[in-house]
Amino acid sequence: MRQTWGAWAAAAALAVALALPLASLDPSVLNIAVFTLMYVGLATAWNIIGGFAGYISLGHAGFFGIGAYALGLLVGHLGVPGGYGPFLLVPVAGLLTAAVAVPVGWIALRTRAATFVIVTIAFMFMLQILATNLRGLTGGSQGLGYPAPEGWSPRFVDVPFYYAMLGLAAVAVLAAWWIRGSKLGLGLRAIRDDEDRALALGVPTWAFKVTAFTVSAALVGMIGGVYGYYVTYVYPQFVVDPLISLSMVLMAFLGGTGTIAGPIVGALLLEPAQLELAYSVGEARLYLILYAVLFLVVILVLPSGIVPTVADRVGSRRARQPVAPAPAPGEAAPP
Amino acid sequence: MRTTSVLGVAVMLTLGAPACAGGGGGSSQPITIGVSVSLDGDFSGDGKALEQGYQLWADDVNARGGLVGRKVRFKFVNDASSTQQVVTNYQNLITRDHVDLTFGPFSSLLTIPASSIASRYGYAFPEPAGGGPHVFDRGLRDVFFVQPAPVVDNLASYTRWLLSLAPDQRPRSAAYATEDDPFTQPQLDRARALLEKGGVQTVYTKVYPAETTDFTPIALAVAQSRADAVVLGTMIPDAVAFVQTFQQQRFNPRSLIETSGPDQGGQFSDKITGGNTEGVMVPAGWWPSAKTSGNDRFVRAFLARYGGDAGSISADAAEAYSVGQVVEQAVGRIHSIDNAQLTDALHSGTYQTVQGAMAFDSKGQPNGSSFLVQWQGGQTVPVYPAAVAVAPPEYPKPAWR
Amino acid sequence: MTTLVLEAAVLGVLTGGVYALMASGLTLIFGVMRIINVGQGALVVLGAYLGFVLLRQWHVDPFLGLLLTTPALFVLGVALEVVFIRPLRTDRESLSVLVTYALALGIEGVLGYLFGADYRQISVWYDTATFQVGGFHVAVVYVLGFALCVAILAGLGLLLYTTTFGAAIRATMLNRAAAQLIGIDVERVSAIAFGIGMATAAAGGVVFGITTAFNPGSHYDLISRLLTIIVLGGLGSLRGAIVAALVMLVVQDVTAVLLSPTWAAFAFFVVLVAVLVARPQGLYGLRVRERI
Repeated sequence: MRQTWGAWAAAAALAVALALPLASLDPSVLNIAVFTLMYVGLATAWNIIGGFAGYISLGHAGFFGIGAYALGLLVGHLGVPGGYGPFLLVPVAGLLTAAVAVPVGWIALRTRAATFVIVTIAFMFMLQILATNLRGLTGGSQGLGYPAPEGWSPRFVDVPFYYAMLGLAAVAVLAAWWIRGSKLGLGLRAIRDDEDRALALGVPTWAFKVTAFTVSAALVGMIGGVYGYYVTYVYPQFVVDPLISLSMVLMAFLGGTGTIAGPIVGALLLEPAQLELAYSVGEARLYLILYAVLFLVVILVLPSGIVPTVADRVGSRRARQPVAPAPAPGEAAPP
Repeated sequence: MRTTSVLGVAVMLTLGAPACAGGGGGSSQPITIGVSVSLDGDFSGDGKALEQGYQLWADDVNARGGLVGRKVRFKFVNDASSTQQVVTNYQNLITRDHVDLTFGPFSSLLTIPASSIASRYGYAFPEPAGGGPHVFDRGLRDVFFVQPAPVVDNLASYTRWLLSLAPDQRPRSAAYATEDDPFTQPQLDRARALLEKGGVQTVYTKVYPAETTDFTPIALAVAQSRADAVVLGTMIPDAVAFVQTFQQQRFNPRSLIETSGPDQGGQFSDKITGGNTEGVMVPAGWWPSAKTSGNDRFVRAFLARYGGDAGSISADAAEAYSVGQVVEQAVGRIHSIDNAQLTDALHSGTYQTVQGAMAFDSKGQPNGSSFLVQWQGGQTVPVYPAAVAVAPPEYPKPAWR
Repeated sequence: MTTLVLEAAVLGVLTGGVYALMASGLTLIFGVMRIINVGQGALVVLGAYLGFVLLRQWHVDPFLGLLLTTPALFVLGVALEVVFIRPLRTDRESLSVLVTYALALGIEGVLGYLFGADYRQISVWYDTATFQVGGFHVAVVYVLGFALCVAILAGLGLLLYTTTFGAAIRATMLNRAAAQLIGIDVERVSAIAFGIGMATAAAGGVVFGITTAFNPGSHYDLISRLLTIIVLGGLGSLRGAIVAALVMLVVQDVTAVLLSPTWAAFAFFVVLVAVLVARPQGLYGLRVRERI
């Protein structure tokens, strides 16, 4: 029952999302939507390793940066002009990110729990340093530029990016949904609950962890590529940015890790709020304080995340409804 | 009597008409200028100074009647030093708030993405702080860097002065160290090339990451080189750290110049005790005592509003103020605030600002040169070229006390 | 060249002491409560501002001012733990990362509001005085800072290994459930450990504030270094934090003068990864069956 309800909700949401640009071509709305969908994808992708397997990575921004640089370099070296062309190369950027993720994961996934968290941070900083120092490849601290899309009117220009981010977010959600229902997902959950026990029971924990990590990284890399193209210029410290790592983790936790809808809800709430807050009250320099307060309140009030808490409340309300006594044989059932 | 009053009204109307023309929205509506400033994050110190400079200009121009007879009003938004936010901000300012004009944010890092947005909508984008080379090779003609010289030539005055010294006075060796930053590194590379060609031997050169927090090892290495001249590409934290380490190591170069830090007024001098700022040089496009257009008024207004002393005024505020001045003059010439016309106008002619005279080439790069400024007696004074010098350069730099 | 390397090594040891102090609180908190206090950097910066204000407003030497700021931050730490950490019942380890990050942001916001983003530094009158050792000069402030760190760490060590309360802390670090079973009030121990962590931040903050220009945003760089130090040393190990801090700073400073500053941080990360590949629990960490 809940399965079909969820599927209908997803379909409805997708329909609304697809139609949005047709209803409102206001670039400032589309701009916020692009960044929001970006985080929907990022949080969902992160959740595959962080929520499903319980391996909290705080270094995913490294993969985001790899994707941004990879796409920029591909577009630059192949001489692809601005327009629809760069979008076609996004999957290649994803593959390149995956290629880096495998050895990184190989080393990082040997550690557990808090050590893993910090190792991912270390790897992220290493990637940032490489991006800054390999000047011949990445342009170093001078950054890397993307071609501007020619011929798109200012009112239209955000639309292809909107659909690109929507597409990637949808791919991420589909991937997460498919994984969760599969043997891989079951194995990841077993790893999260008790890894040593899972290993003892014959679950191929190593293969599962590395797969989940790589898939998660590839998705994040592709999203990073589209981001780089959208903001037209990539700098090492702005794409390999700890705040991006933290934001996607936050959104997943806010919405509820381990669920599919959780990261989506988290991103839909947090990103527009952040962009709007900074724009409207940022001048008062209270922005950081307000953000921190909001954050704390939510965590303390909803520690397991919005979606599970809401689901629990709904579930317990249903359970509290009085159940009619079964009719005795021969008696008519009460109306 | 009636005829005179009718005539009088007619005269007033005729005189008043030009003031009403130009710019939509009616003559009583203020002109809104949208700017994203970094009020949080890495650039927040500079962002605040920009905001101060912009606001002072607005108050000044409004006191004199505004632009094309309309008052000027800023809409400031905070980008928290973030790319996503600066892009969102300019999108919102242009398409949601429909600002009339846009001015630039702080740093090349934020200016580049922001300029893509402004240019897309045909807005002129004069900016005070984005001068790194890549700002100008994006093929946009609406971007204007309002400082006297492109960043890469920032140290040109210094090299010229150094090489103009008598051969037996001239430094024989130089040490270079710079942050890996699109603003500082190009300047140092250019300066080193020029000095090497002039016969100054390079005895040390290093590039360090911008996120370094501990500059002492590098400063030690520079001190060890015992170079005659030290050229550093810094921001405040490293500018201060190098000076402190040189003091601790009793290393007295005959000439010391830092690309940024010594121009930040109080933020620099309140950390260097004992009068030891004496002799430190910095390239600058502005200084408090300069006899440039509107500078007196600017300095007085700044001190009246924000207190402190002239030495504590940050150059960022003067740069922002210059943006306003340039636009004011351009608007004055074309009698309109239409962005396309403004862009065309800015590509020609000379503009007088608190940073001196400037003109912009086809890419929006300024084609002047910055000056050499030195700390003397607790104040920064221009010392070179002679035409703008207030005092002769102190050389060699006095030893640390 | 050798003098330079030697100087760099000495500098690495001295600054390593400061980082060891800041990291000790972090590893202690992790050991006792199994939470990662991502806000430790922000608290160090807070300590730096407190020292700055004491000097500026009341002309109190920052080292002496520690007599005031350390207890103050200790109390603040206990309060923070009770209000924000203790209520977390489920998923404490992961949520604590978020909660402490929120606290760090809040502290950064408040400091930014009160002081603005200008860089500050605690300028004591002796900040350019040096001791002459052999051929080179060692700054007095570094030596004083190092001495302070040694003193505090020694005190911490004494607390942990000679007092009954210290034994309670160590027991809680080894096995929280078992400690509770033998009658230790683990909640109280946790709160006090958190307070001690804050107090070390106050002290570290003062030394940090004297040697480096700082502003509210300085905590990001700090916390990333502190986290890597405690992982290298082994989470929860005080000895490990000290050794790791010294290793990290010496490696970085020597690499900076020998090779290039750009690769200094990278060199350190390589060391970290290499150690973790061989010993995932860090240099002095214990291999326990742990779940986050």
